[in-house]
Formats: sequence, C-alpha cells, structure tokens
Amino acid sequence: MDPIFDDFRKGYAEWDGYKVSQTLTPIPPASNPQKLYNFFRSTNFATVQKDFKYQLVYNTTPFKLPADEANGWVEVYHAYWKAVGEILNAENAPRSSTKGAWIKVYDSWKELINALIRGYSNHGFEAWTVPCLYVAGKFLRIFAIKADEGTGTGNGAITSFQDDFNPEAEKNEKLEDAARQLNRIFQICLADREPLDESRKWGIYNIINLLFKTYFKLNSISLSKNILKAIQAYRGDMPTLESFPKAHQVTFKYYIGVIYFLEENYVESEKNLTEAWQLCHKDAVRNKELILTYLIPCHLLTTHTLPTLALLSPYPRLQKLFLPLSRCIKKGDLAGFDAALVAGEDEFVKRRIYLTLERGRDIALRNLLRKVFVAGGFEEAKDPAAPAVRRTRIPVAEFGAAISIGSKETMDNDEVECLLANMIYRNLMKGYIARERGIVVLSKGGAFPGTGV
Amino acid sequence: MYSTMNTSWVVPPPPGTQGQPYGYQSELPTPIAFHPPTTLRMAPKRRTDPPAYHPVQVRQTFSQPALHYPPTVQQPPPPPAPPVEAPGKQKIDWPASVRNYVARSFEPANMHPDVSKVAMEAKLKETISAASASKTLFTIDWDNLPLPKDMILQERVQALRLEQEKWQQQSVDMQMAGNGFVDITASKKRKSQEIGGDNEDALPPWRTTNTRNGFEDRVTFPAERFDKRQQPFQDDNLKGTSKFQKSLEKRQRRFDGGYKSSYKSPSPEPMSGPVVGTCQTLEKQYFRLTSAPIPSQVRPESILRQTLDLLKKKWKKEGNYSYICDQFKSMRQDLTVQRIKNTFTVTVYEMHARIALEKGDLGEYNQCQTQLRALYAQNLGGNPVEFKAYRILYFIHTSNRTSLNDVLADLTTAEKKEKAIKHALDVRSAIALGNYHRLFRLYLDTPNMGAYLMDMFVVRERLAAMSSLCKAFKPDVPLRFVTEELGFESDNDAAQFIYDYNGQALLEEKEGNLRFLTGKAAQLFEVARNEAFRKVDIKGQI
Repeated sequence: MDPIFDDFRKGYAEWDGYKVSQTLTPIPPASNPQKLYNFFRSTNFATVQKDFKYQLVYNTTPFKLPADEANGWVEVYHAYWKAVGEILNAENAPRSSTKGAWIKVYDSWKELINALIRGYSNHGFEAWTVPCLYVAGKFLRIFAIKADEGTGTGNGAITSFQDDFNPEAEKNEKLEDAARQLNRIFQICLADREPLDESRKWGIYNIINLLFKTYFKLNSISLSKNILKAIQAYRGDMPTLESFPKAHQVTFKYYIGVIYFLEENYVESEKNLTEAWQLCHKDAVRNKELILTYLIPCHLLTTHTLPTLALLSPYPRLQKLFLPLSRCIKKGDLAGFDAALVAGEDEFVKRRIYLTLERGRDIALRNLLRKVFVAGGFEEAKDPAAPAVRRTRIPVAEFGAAISIGSKETMDNDEVECLLANMIYRNLMKGYIARERGIVVLSKGGAFPGTGV
Repeated sequence: MYSTMNTSWVVPPPPGTQGQPYGYQSELPTPIAFHPPTTLRMAPKRRTDPPAYHPVQVRQTFSQPALHYPPTVQQPPPPPAPPVEAPGKQKIDWPASVRNYVARSFEPANMHPDVSKVAMEAKLKETISAASASKTLFTIDWDNLPLPKDMILQERVQALRLEQEKWQQQSVDMQMAGNGFVDITASKKRKSQEIGGDNEDALPPWRTTNTRNGFEDRVTFPAERFDKRQQPFQDDNLKGTSKFQKSLEKRQRRFDGGYKSSYKSPSPEPMSGPVVGTCQTLEKQYFRLTSAPIPSQVRPESILRQTLDLLKKKWKKEGNYSYICDQFKSMRQDLTVQRIKNTFTVTVYEMHARIALEKGDLGEYNQCQTQLRALYAQNLGGNPVEFKAYRILYFIHTSNRTSLNDVLADLTTAEKKEKAIKHALDVRSAIALGNYHRLFRLYLDTPNMGAYLMDMFVVRERLAAMSSLCKAFKPDVPLRFVTEELGFESDNDAAQFIYDYNGQALLEEKEGNLRFLTGKAAQLFEVARNEAFRKVDIKGQI
C-alpha cells in the first residue's frame, strides 16, 4: 500500500490534484503492472481501515492532515481498496460469466464515488483535488459499460411497475445509473459556494463532458439540455468557459456543436465546431477527425462548399467518408451521388450524418442545372459593345434532359418542375417558372448565387 | 355496452360509511363461505386454540381485510398482541439473529419519519410472535427480513390499493346489480378481495421467497448504508463548517438525494420472479400499478387470449375507443407483469397499435410501437415489416431526426426492399429533398394503415409544397395542377385547402378554368408553412 500513499502525500504536499487523482486509477502503470495486486494484498478486510487510518491520520510526515479530512480520505481509499479487489476478481472471472463480476466492480466503484462525494460535502476536501472526481467518474462510466455488456446473467431482478417492459433500460441498466451518479458529481461541483479560486466549479466542464459522453452512448441526447439549462442558470457565478483548461473547452464545444448539428441548427453547430477545431491540440488527430466529421457536412449545408483534398489528407477515414460524395456533388452527378450515399449509408447512419449529407443532393443538382445554364451560352448581342448576356430563358425540357441524364432515370415534366421549384425556393437558383410557356426565366444578375454566374 | 354502463354508474358511498355494520373483528366469519379451499388451510389452525385473550388476529398477510379506510399516517397501534411469553408457553431462547433484527429495527438510521415508534413496536411484536407461533423462529432468514418500518409502509400501500380496487369493484357490482346480473347482497366484491388478500399472502412473502428477494440488495440496503454513514459525520461536521454552509449542504444533499428517493420509495419491491396470474374474468379495468401485482388480479395467458377475442368482437360491434384502449392497457400490464413475451404478446401490441392508429391516438400508438420494436428484435413473429414502416412514418411526423437515424440504423438491406418499408423510406427522402411531386404520389399509394400516419403530416407538407409552388411559378397555375401535384382528391378539395388559409382572392376564373394566382400567394403560404412546422406535438397524446 505504501507506493499509493507515498504518491498521495507527495501530491497533497504539492497541491497537485492530478497527482492525487492518479492514486485512484484502477489501471496499474506500465512500469509496475503488479501495483494494484500488491496494493490489494498489502492488507486485508479485517485491518484495512486501521491500516489506512494509520497511513492517513496518524502518519504526520511530512505534514498532518486535518483529522476530519483525513478520515474522509480513509473512507475513499477503503472504498478504492475494495473496488480494486473486485476488479482483480473480475479480470480473472471465467469468460462465460463476466457480467456478475463487473456488476460487482461497478457497485464497489460507485461506493468510491459516494465516499468522494461525502468527502467533499462533509469532510472538507479541498477543491484542488477535483481531478479525483474526474478519474472516479471516468472509470465509473467504463465499468458500467462493461457490466452492461458482460456475458451471462446478473442478479436478474426485475423491477418497476411499468405497464410495458423497457428493453432499453434493461440493456443499459448500469450505464443509466452511472449517468445519475455523474449527475450527482455535477451537482456538487455546480453548487459549491466557496469563492471562485477554491471552488469545485472548476471541475464542472470535465464532468459535463463525461455526462454528454454517457448521454450520447445511452442515446438520450436530449438529457444534455438539462445540463445546459443548469449551467445557464448559474452562469453569473461561473468562470467563463475560456478560463477553463483547453482540453475541457474543446470537448465541450465539440459536444455542443454535435447537439446543435442533430437539431439541424447548422449555424450554431458550425460556430461551436469551428471553435473546437481551432482550439484542438494539433496532435490530437483522432479528436480533429471527430470534429471534422460534423464540421464538413455542416459547412456543406451552410456555405455549399466542399472539403479540399489538403484538408482531408491527414485523415484517411474521412477521405473514405466524404470524397466519393464530394466528387459527385462537384460534377453534378446525381446517380453517382445516390450510389455513393447508399454505399456509405451504414457508416453515415452510425455517425448520424446521413440525413444531413443527403441534403447535399441539392448542391449536386444545383451544379448540374448550372451546367445547363452555362452550356446555354449567350444571348445574341444587339449591341456588340455591351458585355455579353447569358441566355436566361431556358426551356424546362433542357433541364429535364439534364436531370434525366444525371440521375439515369426518366423524369416526367411535373417532377422536373417540382425540383426546379424547390431550387428556387431554397435560393439555390434565382428566377421563376412560366409554366404555360414551358420555360424557366432566370435572373440576369446571378442566376446561381455564390457560383459566379 | 360499456357506454351504457357508464351512464348508469351509481355513486358509491363515501369511505367509512360502507357496509361495515359489525366493525373490526366480525369481518372474519362472513367471507369464509367464499374462500376457495386453499385459503382455508391457514385459518382453522389458528382458531383451534380457544382464545385466552381478546381475539385479535395475528396479522399474517399484508392485506388488511379489516381496515376499510385507507390507514392514515398515525395508525392506531393495534390492540396489544399477546405477550410472547404467554402463560402456558415455555420460555423461548431467542436466536441471535432475532435479537439482531430487533436491534436493527431501532437503529436511528432505520427509522422512518412516517412510522411511529409505537407502530413499529407493535409490528415487531406481531412478526416475532407469528414466527414463534408457527415455529419458524429458527428458519426465517432474519438478516434479510424487511424491517418493521418497511413492512408497515408496504402494508399501507397495499391497503390503499385494495381500497381503490374495492371501490372500483363495488361500483361494477352496483352496475351489475342494476342490470339484474348479480345479487348485490352476495357481495362479489368481498370475495374477490379476500381471494386477493389471502391467496398471495397466505405465507408472508419473505417466507415464500427465501432467496434474496431483491429487497436488501436492490433497495433498502444502499439507502441504509448511505444513511448510516452519513449520520455520525453530520455531527462531526457541525464543528468544522459554518452553520450556514452546513445547512446549505444538507439542502444540497436533499437534492442529489433525488436518486436516493427512488430507493426509499415506500412501495414494496416486486418479488424476483414474475407473477403467475389466477384471475378468471375476461375484462379488467386498467390501473397503474403502485405495488407488486396480486396474482388473483392478473389474468393468465389462456384468459387473455379469450379477452382478446372478446375485445375484437366488441371493437367491431361498438367501436368504443376509450373502453378498448383501457382494456388493452390492462392486457398489456398483465402480460408485462407475468413476463409473457411470445407471439401472442406481439398480437396484442399490434392490435392495440392498429386501433390507436385508426383513432389517431399517437401516444398509445407510440408506446405500442416501442414495445413492438423490442419484441420483433426477438423474432417472435407478427408483422415487423408493416410496423417498421409505421415507425418510420411516425418519426417523420414527429420530425424526430435522432430516432429516424436510429430506425435507419436498425434496418437490414433486405428489409429496405420490402414494399411497405421502401414506401416509408421513399416518403422520407422525398420530404428531405422537397420533392412534393413524388411525396404526394406516394401518399396516394400508401400500403396498410400508413395513410393514418401520413394524414398527420400531409397538411404540413402541403403547405411546404405550396410555399415552393408560389415562389417558383409565375404568374399563375391551373387549379388542376395544384390538385394533382398536392394529391388532393378533387379540385374542390384543393380549392377548400386554399380557402382554409384565406386564399379566396387567389382563385380566378380564366377561359373557363380556375387558376391559382401563385405569384400573389407566396407570403400567405410561407407564413402558414412556418406556423405548421413550428409546432410538432411530439407525443401526440390524446
């Protein structure tokens, strides 16, 4: 047990929350893979509390912890010790019945969370130690997922007086519970009324990010709104987001961006994702890839622009995702676009970008129609000195022919008109349809806004 | 038939005034005549000893047949139970487990504000004397036995519920009596109630389920442990922090105890196994469960099958939706509490979903579809294609993109080619791409009952199409064109639609044809469109 308490004292002496939090990780360092095992074996159920008390309460070198706080930490490490026992146990559990073991891990880890929460609310743990909450919360989520995914049956108690059974809840029982526990941590951070420099509020965004991550996994993204409402209500007493560690900011902005994205609020989404993109550490390739996964479709809809090859070059996965579609959009190849969308459907759906990318078809169509317009050439000039004017009266049939070729299916006139009407309605094309005469009258000044013609 | 019953409802007498002429103890003899043999077994055993004391029944069950009013918080302590060391009995050497149990009961952490100490003592006495009387002192798992406070809370809930049911049953009886079906003096209500009480609880639940009954590990324990630890620390804490901070934190804890409060729910936990129903009546009114279901009030599958047939007939004949919906809900409840998941379950949910669809009750429909999704995932038969298609249309209606995405993720390639699903997917993509031409073609050719769902959003989509039309076509189009493009059944309908949005002035007759002045209508329909898309009633609850 000594190495862990040595680290604890060292971290405590330096007021280094991250160092202290490292003593609570359930993963042994690569340099000492036996660390957890040794720690667990260094004491036993009968004497553990006494031993830890000795380490934390009576051992006064190099400093003495206040008794109350020390007792709180004894509880924390006691819970940690028990959890470590369960973890070692679960890692050796037979493959056929991992669930029960991981459920025990989860429950014991939850006790650790409880001990920590009590530490902050009753034993006067200081705010600089909040990284302990990060570590505890992070692994609570991981253990919950393991417990839910485990094979075999758990205790199988059924429960609740619902009229209908709830398959989702059964599947994610522990993770849902984890979300509740994280929410408790969120609350003790949010409601701390100490002055800002020693407030647990500094832990808030890390915990929020964990919560978001959990909600996304649970497919109950709407719950994120409650969190946002809560911090909105406290915004007066809260440090600004910019003063938090960059890592917290980037993750937070990323999630906010994705939440807006899913609500089809592409403008806000783009704003947040762009900020996340700019703040993101240059070597965090995986994170940058995630940000771009949503930022690119966003950009396609808001500005009708496609990603450049240079942007995509470091991310082979994104190239695979976006390049085929981009090419078709550029060419106005409707059939190709449809095929690419079908080909990538599973992947797009998984990342929840399918419905957004689908709307890229409008841009492909716009590009196709623009080609028709450009191919139509210029009006015969009455005055050779005046700048040439493009032909702006185009028969619907010409567009129809282009669409039929582009989409490789024949389309009747009414449907072609419908698509054109839609282009006009969405401001991708300027002009009107004179149905009786079967022509489209396009605007002389910029028939296809933003494309130079 | 149900509707006529409704009108002939007799107002039941207020609680406390109803048939209790003999008061507390005389309750027992009357119902015995109606007891099924099984319930008789316990009773005589107790009655064989000539009562050496005021004959108060040792309460062996959680139901309280004697109490016909919902017990209030200040429950009068039951008349003193006989001292356990009653004369004639040898002195009992209490096992340590019993002592521990008693000690545990009075730990401050285990006290409940709603349960008075007196009531607890009484309950404790009752439990222990019952155990010693039945010679189970050494066999009961005292460590896992619910504490007296829990038993009392549980009893209260149960009593409350019985009371409600009795009321209901009574009113039914009265109607029946009114219709000349039942002799009201035979008091059917009584019977069903007694059966309800005794059948299940002939043995106290902790004895029937000697395995860990989910009580401690699921509910009571975590909360207790939490409390136990908290209590002493709270006191320590008073010294350290200021009183203000202290009370704040206390308050805070109350809030994050939001989770805890679910632990503390006074309702008893269900037993770990599913209930097996014994109820033989076909119809049953729906009640939300607040405590563990009582087998005698749950219909087994064989009865439910008959119920379904009956409901089908009734629905065809009477079409009374509120009755049908209520009956289906109680069927679903019975299926759920018995954990019946098979083809029959699927049929029930599909039936209810279809009826709800037909009546536009999207709330119920949505509940059914959620269940169906899970049931189909287990390959229990039914019509997954049909209902998956509805599910897509439903999410189009609620504009729920996240769920729509999930639906797409769930579909297999083969399913995407099924006619109904393909239709729904095409509808989705037509809307996404603003292709109203295709959308309304699809609308006119909707398989199964999908049109009921499409009707929900067709007005909204027509307004969107109108906005496009009006912005793109100048100066006018024939009304016929609107009729065809927007899938109206006739020019009249199309005109009516335009009228509905105050577009009278936009229709003009030219050369014998009605023409719609698109050029002037853009503003009007753009406003209507935005209005229609602003509010999507997500739940669609009726």
